[in-house]
Amino acid sequence: MTAQRPSDSRRRNGTWRVLRELSVPSEPGNERMAMETVAEAIRDLDIRGENLERLKTAVAEATMNAMEHGNHYRAELPVLIEVSASDTQLSVKITDEGSGPPAFHAETPDLEAKLEGMQSPRGWGLFLIKNMVDDMEVTGDERHHTVELLLDLERQAEGGK
Amino acid sequence: MAVRHLNVEVRLESDVAVLDLMGEINGFAEETLNTAYAEADAKDTKTILLNFEGVDYINSTGIALIVGLLAKARVSKRRLVAYGLSDHYVEIFEITRLSDFMSVFPDEESAMSATSVS
Repeated sequence: MTAQRPSDSRRRNGTWRVLRELSVPSEPGNERMAMETVAEAIRDLDIRGENLERLKTAVAEATMNAMEHGNHYRAELPVLIEVSASDTQLSVKITDEGSGPPAFHAETPDLEAKLEGMQSPRGWGLFLIKNMVDDMEVTGDERHHTVELLLDLERQAEGGK
Repeated sequence: MAVRHLNVEVRLESDVAVLDLMGEINGFAEETLNTAYAEADAKDTKTILLNFEGVDYINSTGIALIVGLLAKARVSKRRLVAYGLSDHYVEIFEITRLSDFMSVFPDEESAMSATSVS
């Protein structure tokens, strides 16, 4: 499948191929299935080793956040995942059926504060995602939230993070 | 893909308590991990080793559980040490700064050596 994306930003120039679309029931643990399916979908791209592990972690965390905070772990509400690629970028869009602003812990995790009980031990998801991919974009409307994860394929091929 | 629920075995090696972790460290692991840590804590050793060789997945909830263990260790003045993490999770321990508070070693031998000299 080939999709022409609007060239409304530098990131979306070029022709995009949809590599995989999947629907994940919002049940605890399903983020692993999502990350392994995405890894399978991109097996022909030059994303290997530690770079692949970073992407898998980002996909798992974004999917978990969508299942938990967007769909409140209601299994009948799916998380939709679209994997697509251009010549230079990989995009993984993760969409839930939540309304209002996307729910991520806004607080930057501070381990010292967590150990002292000043912050919740949780709240690592967004922090991990940001550190695992080249870019991410969060959008939302009255019916959906979407987190888009972006990897620069040229940097990946060079072995860059 | 079925969830590999965490299983933990606790043993005592040369006055060091070792938690052999097997499976996934995620939200399902909370009770198992905390029960095993309490068992290790009861052995009243200065150091507790976390053996991650059998762990193939840690998510952000799992990171939070490990933070909880670190907090308990700090209160009881025990040293928490990790070994057997994959390269990817070593990186995550560095990014989250867990490795600033918990020494990370490649294997049990190096972890035990460091424990015995410190």
